[in-house]
Amino acid sequence: MIQTKGLVKRYGSFTAVDGIDLNIPRGQIYGFLGPNGAGKTSTIMMLLGITRPTAGEIRLLGEPYTPRRLDLRRRIGVVPEKHPRGVWPWMTAREYLGLFADLFEVPSAPQRIDMLLEKVDLASVANKRFCEYSRGMLQKLSIVRALLPDPDILFLDEPISGLDPLGIKQVRDLIVSENREGRTIFISSHQLSEMERICHRVAIIFRGRLMVEDTMRSLLSRITAEREVRVELEAPPADLVVRVKNLRFVRDASEQGGTLIVKVSKEGDHRKALSEFLIRQGQVPLSITEKIPSLEEAFITITQENIVMLMRGGAE
Amino acid sequence: MRDRIHAAAVIARRQIQETLLSPGLYVTLALGLLLGAFLVRGFAASIDSSGFNPQLNPLYDLIARFLGGTFGGAFVGKLFSEGPYLFALLVSFAPVFAYLAIASVFRFGLEKTAGAVELLTYGPADGTAYVLGSFLKDVALALLALLAILVFLAVSAAAGNLVLGPLFFWALPVVFLAALAVCAYGILCSIIASNASSALALFLGVLLLFLLILAGSYSIASAPVRSVSTVAATVIQWISPFFYTAMCFRGLQGGGAGALLGGLGLLLALAAALLAAGHAVISRKGVRA
Amino acid sequence: MSKAAAFLLVLLLALLPLAAASAQVPVRTEQLIYTILAFNGKDYSATFAAENSDAIYLLAGVDSFLSARKALVYFWPTTGEWKTDTDSLNWFFPGTLELWDRAGRARDIPLQKFTYYNVKGEYELNWKVAVGEAVAREFNRYQELYQDYFKSVAAFQKANTEYESSQDALLQKIMKTRQAGGDPSTLLEKMKSMVRPVAPEPPKDYVVPPTPAQEAFILNLPRGEYTIRLKNPDGTVMEGSEKRIVVHERRRTNGIGYEVIPSDKWTRPEQSTTPSSVLHVNGSTDLYLRPFFQDEFADLAYARTVDNAARGNPNIYSWVRTQQVPHASIEVQTPAGPTLLGERLYYVEQTKGSGLGYTIVPFDPQGAHKGKAPNLIAYKVAIGKDTQALRLRALDGNGKPLPGSERQIRVVRAAPPAVLLLSLAGLPLALMALVLSLRERRYSSQAPAREALKSNSF
Repeated sequence: MIQTKGLVKRYGSFTAVDGIDLNIPRGQIYGFLGPNGAGKTSTIMMLLGITRPTAGEIRLLGEPYTPRRLDLRRRIGVVPEKHPRGVWPWMTAREYLGLFADLFEVPSAPQRIDMLLEKVDLASVANKRFCEYSRGMLQKLSIVRALLPDPDILFLDEPISGLDPLGIKQVRDLIVSENREGRTIFISSHQLSEMERICHRVAIIFRGRLMVEDTMRSLLSRITAEREVRVELEAPPADLVVRVKNLRFVRDASEQGGTLIVKVSKEGDHRKALSEFLIRQGQVPLSITEKIPSLEEAFITITQENIVMLMRGGAE
Repeated sequence: MRDRIHAAAVIARRQIQETLLSPGLYVTLALGLLLGAFLVRGFAASIDSSGFNPQLNPLYDLIARFLGGTFGGAFVGKLFSEGPYLFALLVSFAPVFAYLAIASVFRFGLEKTAGAVELLTYGPADGTAYVLGSFLKDVALALLALLAILVFLAVSAAAGNLVLGPLFFWALPVVFLAALAVCAYGILCSIIASNASSALALFLGVLLLFLLILAGSYSIASAPVRSVSTVAATVIQWISPFFYTAMCFRGLQGGGAGALLGGLGLLLALAAALLAAGHAVISRKGVRA
Repeated sequence: MSKAAAFLLVLLLALLPLAAASAQVPVRTEQLIYTILAFNGKDYSATFAAENSDAIYLLAGVDSFLSARKALVYFWPTTGEWKTDTDSLNWFFPGTLELWDRAGRARDIPLQKFTYYNVKGEYELNWKVAVGEAVAREFNRYQELYQDYFKSVAAFQKANTEYESSQDALLQKIMKTRQAGGDPSTLLEKMKSMVRPVAPEPPKDYVVPPTPAQEAFILNLPRGEYTIRLKNPDGTVMEGSEKRIVVHERRRTNGIGYEVIPSDKWTRPEQSTTPSSVLHVNGSTDLYLRPFFQDEFADLAYARTVDNAARGNPNIYSWVRTQQVPHASIEVQTPAGPTLLGERLYYVEQTKGSGLGYTIVPFDPQGAHKGKAPNLIAYKVAIGKDTQALRLRALDGNGKPLPGSERQIRVVRAAPPAVLLLSLAGLPLALMALVLSLRERRYSSQAPAREALKSNSF
């Protein structure tokens, strides 16, 4: 759906984007992460056709994409981070949407606008001036605007920034439902916990370079060489830790307030073997949980330039 | 190209709607028409048994003295040879046009700074489409204003048994194309400058420079002023819409159809060149806020 | 009045002459000036170029006369003009004029004799010049004319004296005859049959007779810019004599303009020179038109040809009258059809009685205006009470329309009604009020929904 090859963007002597290769298949929710100044915005601007790459190529919907390909932009919807509030103070929301419907030549525009406004629960205030909308309502409106042309690809830049928990859930649900209808979704966000929940694939960019690009599961499994299993016990004896450490698959073990923390190799699922061992030792596990590294941990790890481990695929 | 033209049309329609929903156009148009009314009535009051005598009316006495003292009696004679309408056209159009041009420059800068232009270009539009759209809006509104003024002056002429002479009708396309060239300058200034205020300052500065040099080269009041202006004009005239306008009027005054048509063509070419420059700059600079 | 006030008044009156004395006397400075007799399209006008003048302006393709002299120059504030005082100083430069063109070619121009005079044309006065051998011819002709005239006067006086003497003698004889009781009828017959000599008319050829031969540098140049300077008889260049010459030409010729003379202001006619111009009049009087030929000149160049110190606009062209169109007719389009107006003679009669004013009447050379000259040769365009507009054009002596002679006359009896114009001017404001109120009504019609706007949640 979206492919880039050797994408470069330089501003004078400063290289903002240094040879990025992306391959975003159709129908995925794709997370694009990176700290401030990593080159995210520069990359997105090139993908949107707003700026021209210094080098490299972009293919969108199977076709070569340049800023001149205005026809391809008809199939893209964009929700920017900030909505320009100070301009067009006279416009109602409906008129605002009508403008973009006109621009995209949306067929049966009034009906489509009504349908989308209903979908996001803005129909009752559609004839009000949108400059009076709250942050959340503006975000909804922005999403509606992006969905007007029934785009194949939806770009979202910080879509949940500034929203309350309910708003965040609603946006999340909307993204997921749009994705189920077949839209490819490209999200750039700092809200890693949310990205973790909805993205199928993520890419992490750092200092203009693509550090990693993989499915969520694979990425998380790559950043550590081991897993952590937590077993809650009623009254573990003092020497239990030592006995656990002797197990073949255990890397390390410790005890914390009645909870046995065992680090095991990440190949295979060792919870059953561990449970059987503890039972044989006369212990009854009250609960066994496996702590999966979070995207946040992955992000921090990557951006702290733990490249060696990544290059080895997370092997010991 | 089709996408760009369509986008330009959509943007133009939106901007026209915005202008029609704000009071500025109506107020300045009313002001222009009011000035026109004063000029028409003042002219009628300045007519005696042998013709136009500005001394009979205080307004025209002042105008004739000022213009005569600055540009010479021949200039005043030619300006009012057919009646008041050539002068009334220029005076009536001035406030409306000033509003349209300044508002256009300011709006462009504001929308660019606020990110509205960028928002539009997320769709099937680019900076050039926005430039074209702004220009189309200027074309439409300038036409509308001129039409309103034409109707007003025609009614006043019929009511007073005055004449809208051939010079007046030929002046209409001249004024229209001159206005477009000035608007094109405004668009270019908006693209070059970083924000609305500096765009406006640049635009007004450029216009003032052009006007002063033109006025200076026509002035009879001071030979040094005229000399300096004439020298400056040898460079400025190629990029000044006012000099091409003056060329058109020279053609109308007997310089020949060549001067008139040449001036009209050059005004059009100047506007096109400025838009092309705007396209080049905005393509390079981008539309990011 | 108190003594103090009276003293002050006397003092003030005494000081007034001192105030006059302290008024500035124009400062006269000695300058090398160029005296110019330039042809301006219709006749010759005299002007001068002071030292601080940047250029001399001349018309292309005609003889213009330049001479150089030292004179006193001063500024006369009353009329705002620069003037020369040649009575106090008038040193005539006797050398040659060196002329440089733009290509750098130079030639020397010697002084030549010329004279100028004014003759009465069919319609107006005309200045003419004679150059070289024609100078003596013209001057001699003038002298011969007047010599013949004076001879005629002398002969007349002699004849008149004889006539008077004869008449006296016959009268004496008649009286004696009567006293003697005789019949003086034969003598009376003889007395009546004597014809009184008629005084000769002075020559009317010249309004201003030719001057005795003068000397000047005669310049007849094509359009362009030149530089001149004076060369002394010994070949040296006179310091400070360099001057630029701008030679200009007509842009268009043989245009037609009209002099518009209303019945009530015949001494202050207006001119309609621009071909597309419209004559707006208030319809209170009839109009007398005089069509004239006109040429178009650059305003500044022409103004400075006539008066070197004049101001003009370098970018404007103006029409200048050259002469009245001879034997033309004017065709006026009226609602009833075209009317042909012929040239007529008119006389201006002062209004009798204490009231000021005059009327223009047809000239009656045999009756009321015997022995007088007509004041106007013009075409009368009647402006009736119902006249709104007239179109006219001039035809030449053969009845052919003269190009550029079309004009409109519009009678403007009242200004367009203020109520109408102000109402129309206010229409945009009314429209604005309508548009904005409709918009506001649409916006405020969903007031309950405002509550939804206040929510910060999604």
